[in-house]
Amino acid sequence: MRDIAITGIGVMSPLGVGWEAFWENCRKAKTGIKKITSFDTSSLRSNIAGWVEDFDPSQFMSPGVYRRMSRISRMAVASSVEAVKDSGLILDSIDRERIAVIMGTSYGSSSYVEDFYISLLKYGPRGAQPFLFPETVPNAPASHIAMFHGITGPNTTFCQNEISAENAILYAQNLLIQNQVDVALVGGADELSAILYSCYDAVGALNKIRVENDEPINPKLGDGLILGEGAGILVMERLDFALERNAKIYGIFKSGAITGGITSVGHYEVEGEQMARAMSLAMKEANINPDEIDQIHVSANFSGELDRIECNQLKRIFRKSTKNLSVTPLKYLIGDFGGAGIIRAAAIFLSLYHQLPLPTVSAQTLKGESQRSLEWDLNSTDKIKVALMTTTTFGGGSISLVFTKN
Amino acid sequence: MSENTAKRVVVTGLGIITAIGESIPTFQKALFNGECGIGPVSLFDTTGFPCEVAAQVKIKDLKEFFGAKGIKRVSRCDLLGLIATQEALLDSDLDREICSKKDIGVVLGGGAGGMLSWEKYRRTSWLKKTKARPSPLLSIAQCTLTDLIASRYRLTGSRATISTACSSSATSIGYGFDLIRSGVHEIVITGGSESLSELTFAGFNALRLMDPEYCRPFDKSRRGLSLGEGAAILILEDYESAEQRGATIYGEVLGYATNSDAFHMTSPDPEAVGMSRVMTKALETANVSIDQVDYINAHGTATKINDQVETKAIKRVFGEKGARALAISSTKSMVGHCLGAAGAIETVATVLALSEQVIPPTIHLENSDPDCDLDYVPNNSRTQEMRIALNNSFAFGGNNTSVVFGRGQAQEREN
Repeated sequence: MRDIAITGIGVMSPLGVGWEAFWENCRKAKTGIKKITSFDTSSLRSNIAGWVEDFDPSQFMSPGVYRRMSRISRMAVASSVEAVKDSGLILDSIDRERIAVIMGTSYGSSSYVEDFYISLLKYGPRGAQPFLFPETVPNAPASHIAMFHGITGPNTTFCQNEISAENAILYAQNLLIQNQVDVALVGGADELSAILYSCYDAVGALNKIRVENDEPINPKLGDGLILGEGAGILVMERLDFALERNAKIYGIFKSGAITGGITSVGHYEVEGEQMARAMSLAMKEANINPDEIDQIHVSANFSGELDRIECNQLKRIFRKSTKNLSVTPLKYLIGDFGGAGIIRAAAIFLSLYHQLPLPTVSAQTLKGESQRSLEWDLNSTDKIKVALMTTTTFGGGSISLVFTKN
Repeated sequence: MSENTAKRVVVTGLGIITAIGESIPTFQKALFNGECGIGPVSLFDTTGFPCEVAAQVKIKDLKEFFGAKGIKRVSRCDLLGLIATQEALLDSDLDREICSKKDIGVVLGGGAGGMLSWEKYRRTSWLKKTKARPSPLLSIAQCTLTDLIASRYRLTGSRATISTACSSSATSIGYGFDLIRSGVHEIVITGGSESLSELTFAGFNALRLMDPEYCRPFDKSRRGLSLGEGAAILILEDYESAEQRGATIYGEVLGYATNSDAFHMTSPDPEAVGMSRVMTKALETANVSIDQVDYINAHGTATKINDQVETKAIKRVFGEKGARALAISSTKSMVGHCLGAAGAIETVATVLALSEQVIPPTIHLENSDPDCDLDYVPNNSRTQEMRIALNNSFAFGGNNTSVVFGRGQAQEREN
């Protein structure tokens, strides 16, 4: 039994807090990318990001619980609270050692790293603030989730740039298939911080767009990526376990494959050969042909570099003109971060469950030849059974996942 | 997965760099001689910290040592990792051509990654209030070493970096084991790297977890840990593939488990539930009974609580009598606590112990502690027959990992 059921979703995203708000805005292709107001960007080349507005941790946990938590941990725990509730799992009725918490994040709490280090620079060797230090480890969000729910099973965090959350999905799949656990809370999380944003700006990786307050944002390909933040948790169970407890099933995680592209630090694999191999391997494992795929979810992120490679490889795999191929580049709406894969997967499972399509653009758009703003198609198809999600990161890795309606 | 289709996973290459040795032969000698690598730190100014020492790698010019002076924009952490990888691949007889054809995976554990580089950037920009040169920022992610290794040796397989603080690289060995056992890869490069950084140095000092002199695991007068740095890489391989190409087999990975205390961010559960459960689960997955285990390479940080609780956990799993029959030692007494690389460095120590049939000692252990009353192999190594060993790693956040190793089959036949 290799099929895995998704039974619960929690999302804190630039498109809304909670999966219902996220889904509603996602369907409309509303953008979550906006001017940054949470820190000073006046000296930087860019001032936009996909960031989570109106996140109030007290809706999900008591102040005593989140007082010492970083923003990333707060968003991660909040997602887990929503997802567990949504799944209908009664944690007291199952063996908590048979539940895993597997997370992916690019950098963990960069704001706590910054604050702790600055406390050292300011106050000297004996003045650094001890309570900030434990939050600097990338596994802090996963540990907080475990502590919050009393989950004592496997607990692991992956940091692999833009395929961090996808790596978490594959590891959780492995634990479930091997029958090490019955349930896995699988997540991705990242926080936007002044320090992270300024570092990305300093190395010239960001889109160079500056906007005034409510000005509409029309990013162009190749200008550099747009950072995002957010957290998401999917509750995954072996299908037999989910069926036995009569769980609501959003959809099935069929197969996944990972490959490594060869490139230099900070860059994408040049041709995308390994990206294509991951897609082929995932479809082969699921026993699905390219023509059976109804939705293609790409990791295009406005970097230009990645967008074009994805376009070229999809053209090869699907043997179609890119004009006739529709794809969903969700990072165009939420920004780019290591945990984004979970939010993209959440969108796909919501689409499979509600049998409503996600917004698409023509794959041609990824080439960036048109100077016009993005044209989203909100009702591209009514056949929503099989979805392919491909993600490629700078540094070289690619992960491809196949999801189906149950 | 059914038992009979699961592959066996063996270790066919080792590479290491630590404060007590910069290659497997030098490390092994120092490990069995019980040498201490803890001393002054030259990477940054430690004056004024409650503890000013650590186990820093002694090589002055790592780039020259690596044999690639022109190598640029690589953090100290990544350089240490590349050095260990070069040795491990050579040791395993894997040249670049084989590497590029075998769809090899790279699964590493990372701690603070390129933090030292980031600190350099941040200190300059903060103190001078001007923009610093941004190039150190390119290596700040935990996963740059994983990508560097893959690109250097053209590895197209799985790519993952696990970051669970002090258990990171132990878990990476576990994941590498999974990937081979389930048939995804024939060969996976696992391990981890860590360089000292102001952040971790100041952090453990701020938490008052460091011994001002040197760490003394399991000793009554222990006052905390000593930080260390280094890297260790292990080549894990499908047994049949290793046999086929005639690779040296150092030992076998038999199984592993990870779990969570779900108790506290920095303190272990005083009842030792998580720690004991993770050892039990690891032995279960390895299909090994408690009386088959001869040696435990302990987490043994030398904090008051860890050593006491780990001892309690070992007793819970093996029983009072069984626990007393075990040899237990802490490699951290020599190389310090290498955080993200600790699990991998200690795994190399465990594999060397099994293949050489020598138990490395716990050094600086002079006064017995009534709460730590097992056989910690004090101060001198011991030649002893061993078949199965357990390696423990327990991390911040309550992340526990335990890995079970067996002596290589060929070696058993020889004897």
